[in-house]
Amino acid sequence: MADLGGADLNGLGGAAVVHAGGMLGPLARAQYAALARLRWRMFSNGMRSNKGMLELGARTFSYIVYASMGVALAAGSGVASYFLAAGNQWRFLPVLFWVLGFLWQAIPIMLASFQEQFDLGILLRFPVRFGSYVLLYLVFGLLDISTILGGLCCAGIWFGVAAARPGLLLWVTLALAVFAVFNILLVRAIFVWIDRWLAQRKTREILGAVFMAGLLGLQLLNPALYQKRHSAHSGHEAQAEQIREAKARYSPLLKKANRVQKWLPPGLAALSLREAIENRPLQGFGSLGLLGIYALVAGGVLALRLKAEYRGENLGSAPARDKAVLIRTKAVASFPGAAAAGREAGWALGGLKGRSGPIAAVMEKDVRSLMRTLPLLYAIGAPLLLVLVFSGIFIRNGGAQPSMFPLALPVCMVYAQLGFTQVFYNSLGTEGAGIQVYFLSPTPFRTVLLAKNLLHALLFAAVAVLAGVLTTLRLGTADNAVIAATGAWLLFSLPCNLTAGNLFSLKMPYRVNPGRIARQRGSQANALLSLLVQLCILAVGAAVFSMSWFLDRMWMATPIFLVLAVGAVFVWRRVLDRVDAIAYGRRDELMQALMKES
Amino acid sequence: METAAIQTHGLTRRFGALTAVEDVTLSVAPGQFFGFLGPNGAGKSTTIKMLTGLLEPTAGTVEILGQPFGAGALDLKRQIGVVPEGMALMGRLTATEYLHFVGRMYGLDRQTTNLRTQELLEFMQLANESKKLVTDFSHGMQKKLALAAAVIHGPKVLFLDEPFEGVDAIAAGMLKNMLTGMINRGATIFLTTHVLEIVERLCSHVAIISKGRLVANGSLEELRAGVASTLPGAEQEQRLTLEEIFLAIVGGVQESTQELTWLT
Repeated sequence: MADLGGADLNGLGGAAVVHAGGMLGPLARAQYAALARLRWRMFSNGMRSNKGMLELGARTFSYIVYASMGVALAAGSGVASYFLAAGNQWRFLPVLFWVLGFLWQAIPIMLASFQEQFDLGILLRFPVRFGSYVLLYLVFGLLDISTILGGLCCAGIWFGVAAARPGLLLWVTLALAVFAVFNILLVRAIFVWIDRWLAQRKTREILGAVFMAGLLGLQLLNPALYQKRHSAHSGHEAQAEQIREAKARYSPLLKKANRVQKWLPPGLAALSLREAIENRPLQGFGSLGLLGIYALVAGGVLALRLKAEYRGENLGSAPARDKAVLIRTKAVASFPGAAAAGREAGWALGGLKGRSGPIAAVMEKDVRSLMRTLPLLYAIGAPLLLVLVFSGIFIRNGGAQPSMFPLALPVCMVYAQLGFTQVFYNSLGTEGAGIQVYFLSPTPFRTVLLAKNLLHALLFAAVAVLAGVLTTLRLGTADNAVIAATGAWLLFSLPCNLTAGNLFSLKMPYRVNPGRIARQRGSQANALLSLLVQLCILAVGAAVFSMSWFLDRMWMATPIFLVLAVGAVFVWRRVLDRVDAIAYGRRDELMQALMKES
Repeated sequence: METAAIQTHGLTRRFGALTAVEDVTLSVAPGQFFGFLGPNGAGKSTTIKMLTGLLEPTAGTVEILGQPFGAGALDLKRQIGVVPEGMALMGRLTATEYLHFVGRMYGLDRQTTNLRTQELLEFMQLANESKKLVTDFSHGMQKKLALAAAVIHGPKVLFLDEPFEGVDAIAAGMLKNMLTGMINRGATIFLTTHVLEIVERLCSHVAIISKGRLVANGSLEELRAGVASTLPGAEQEQRLTLEEIFLAIVGGVQESTQELTWLT
């Protein structure tokens, strides 16, 4: 039997065959080149359509934004590290490394919908060596925004430390290189394992439960924070006293934390520099070696998962368990267990029972899908964390008594609303091939989007109430006029978002893979334009709030927003009346975009 | 004259410079089991998409049960069931939840939907898997579920795009019985498949599309007679299989000179 691996596919003799080698051998190099060409062809073919050109424009713009962010972060890191190194404040250097490490790991989740990622799983049908597979996985990872931003920050730290202490040039280069490798491997490992857990129902549900428990746990921090804020004394002396108290209280804790962090990667990277400047090169190498071991462990954890993928594990399509199937060749004429079937179908939206079948059906289906789609749950839940964590910046301590920034409530509401961007602006994204049901069934598209809008409005209201409660607990009760104006602004912003969301969902949809956080395929154009629309809505809100505040007539904002809200609802209804025409006019593109394999 | 269940006139679909389907005119009588055949890329799925409202024709008309069919023909949509090319499944639902959703999208009340859902799951041998997410189903199980969803509202006209692909022999036999039962009760079925044996056994009428154009249309006997008449004298007497008819019409016989000599 001939070996097909060595077959001469061109019939031109042995010269046409690329011989295998290591992960940098001729075959591997030919495969890397083929993949690079494939990426280029995919990119250039995408430019053939208007949508592709729009995507290119959006991508260019987004890279300019990322580059600006990166330069700002790098400059900040550089300045901070320069002053820390020049001032011999090495004990604070770990803070910089911890922030950098946190950003490196958190940015991919925050920007998941802004990045198009290439699923290397398609390579497994080819004779690709495991080493090449891992290498490609890492090389494509280098094009991640997190790696680019992290790399720029590393460059900033490098410049800062090297400028302040030129003698440390080699050390800082080495330490940053190992730290960067560790972060690249860790972020890849985290995402590849999350994807693995999301691939199976049981682990997906456990992960979902852990995620929700985490959210609730963080919210339980509120009473503690609230208590501390209200136990605060007033006046400068009292503040100084408060700081002394805090130092006394937290100092042992910080010392313990410092002892622990020294053994963790960011601490080790910083420690190696400190040991180098203190002429303890052996200890410095020891710290770097330990950091290298962390990098190896992260790489090992990543390789473990990639090895399973490489061997052909595909958890998403495998039957979860084997069961003996009772074969019945005749249909049951009537089934007496209709009640049991009803129970099995689960809960139902009781309030809508008997009123509108399709509306209730779409809402129930979307709630079920949402509860099983971790990326969307995360997107909705994460901004609440921001509200909780960052609302503290609105406490002003300058006066005789700590007071809240008057417009903190609407600002926190804006944060909370950010989580709905993907839900509003790509409301069909999780439908996949199911989009065909809407075109095949006798239910108008208007009804489908109305149901989705109603559900999203309910969710939005729930999140707004939760954000309001969190803000109140954290900062105290806002002025009545501000509460009323904030409510009125939400009544204006919600229909605006729903209107634009309905149009974007039909005109530039993209498929959301509900089983993945990483390796998600998004639409730059949708993401950027939705951001633009939101900025416009925010600008209107900011203008009205600012005007009312400066005129010291906050009550004015409420009627203005209510008038705007009436207009927004009118436009929303007009657009909703047109969605059938838009959807049917674009059904082919819509189905292609949503049924595309990710 | 009896109103056709499916009637098209000059049905055409172009994608830019490519004409996927050109000037297809056909008529399917009520109660007919109609096989729609063609090689890969011939335009079968494009035609079925146009017939079911998933794709707008560039030119031509479609009538279902004597009424013009378009995107807005909501009442007509209640009369048709479809297993489309992509199966139209929703991966994040269980089979029960999905059928429940589809039934209600077709306007069935909750009780009827629940009852039919359970019956269909039993019939399709999916009852034991009803709590599993659709995304975790095998391809064959997904096909069965798609078929269950297509018939949950009791359609009069059923469009099936490759319904037997990936379905095991036991389930395929059961599905054939179900489809034959529907025909006996007066339903019309429009079927595309590459399994010619199934068409030969089930379909009374067959149309063949090649390179976007309808190249044959009629009862199986009419096609057989048509192809036989083109054969030399002695061969005219033998009973041609559908495969032979199909290959003769679409010209799919490979020349022996086209062998790939480098393959062992």
